[in-house]
Amino acid sequence: MSAHSNHKPSVQDLYEGDQSALYSGVMQHHSDVASTESKNQVKRIWKVFWILLVITVVEVFMGMFLSHSMPKALVNFFFLALTVLKAGYIVAVFMHLGDEIKGFILTVLIPLVLFVWFIIAFLADGGFWLHMNNQTPARQHIEKVQNEQKN
Amino acid sequence: MLQATVPTAKEQNLWGGGRSPFNVSYGKIMIWFFLLSDALTFGALLISYGTRRFFSQVWPDANQVFKSFPFMGEANLPLLFVSLMTFILIMSSVTMVLAVHAGHYGDKKNVVKWLLWTIIGGIAFLACQAWEWTHLHGECNGLWGAFTDVATPVSSFAGFFDHHSAHVQAVIAAHPLVAMESTHQFFNFFFTITGFHGAHVTSGVIFNILILINVVNGTYEKRGHYEMVEKVGLYWHFVDLVWVFVFTCFYLL
Repeated sequence: MSAHSNHKPSVQDLYEGDQSALYSGVMQHHSDVASTESKNQVKRIWKVFWILLVITVVEVFMGMFLSHSMPKALVNFFFLALTVLKAGYIVAVFMHLGDEIKGFILTVLIPLVLFVWFIIAFLADGGFWLHMNNQTPARQHIEKVQNEQKN
Repeated sequence: MLQATVPTAKEQNLWGGGRSPFNVSYGKIMIWFFLLSDALTFGALLISYGTRRFFSQVWPDANQVFKSFPFMGEANLPLLFVSLMTFILIMSSVTMVLAVHAGHYGDKKNVVKWLLWTIIGGIAFLACQAWEWTHLHGECNGLWGAFTDVATPVSSFAGFFDHHSAHVQAVIAAHPLVAMESTHQFFNFFFTITGFHGAHVTSGVIFNILILINVVNGTYEKRGHYEMVEKVGLYWHFVDLVWVFVFTCFYLL
């Protein structure tokens, strides 16, 4: 069933009518589900499924066997890199963001740059708080009293 | 990964008016913007979890907290159950994108089939989460607000920490209340964040059921397109996406 309307859509149509005419590429409506194009799409979906599965298995393997023997910073770097890679595949292929036009991709991705500041600022603050908390005279006094009570 | 888009003459005229310059319908732009705001909410929750963790001298070890599997008793199986949950959610994301694909071709029968599998996957994930929460409810003697009583014996939370690390064990021995406070925070954040995610999965399942009913009734066939399947699909994939980050923050790092 083709949903394409050949007439030029009115502004009203853009909001309420069949909006499929707006799509381009794989997002467009097609009629032949058995076509090579359709089969390639399905193939791509399953390929990404296998990639995601392998990444998850690698992560779990690292978490179970390597997280105590490798340097913590290195393990964490791998975990975060693999997480971003997984997220990228889900957004680009499953959510079809990779099939949209560049302007829309940027509109969605640019606000996420906020997270760079967000993560750095808050984690740094957390680390600084721990540092201060361990160094303050009050804390040292508490520990001194606790040690005296123990002895 | 993102496919490069070559600007064409047609694309350069996108902003000339009379059409969507993004080649995307109004409804789809709005669901993307909603998901952006939801991403910021989940981001805030996960980053506050990270901040609290950076505050703390010691933190529970995921390999010790999450080591149980249904019907396996006391067997030490770290990460195995959550791997199963992750697999279920990825799988349901695949079936959802296949439903969206079938929708692009107006293939009603396959939209119904893949939507049904997606709903089953979502319910299976929720069932797993219910088991995990029930299990941890037993371990903590409650959900939120556990481990606040200073008289709590150290043995009731020491098991959540890394047994191999001399540093961690030394901190627990010297400052048991610091370790208890960390345990309290860990579980509060765990129940809040996985609870908020679980609420998203629940509403996603409800949306999927609603659109399945519409598909079966032929509502979208009459409308001429299955865009609603695509929009709910975006929400469903986002829920999977959030789980990828929850999985990393709580179970791996």
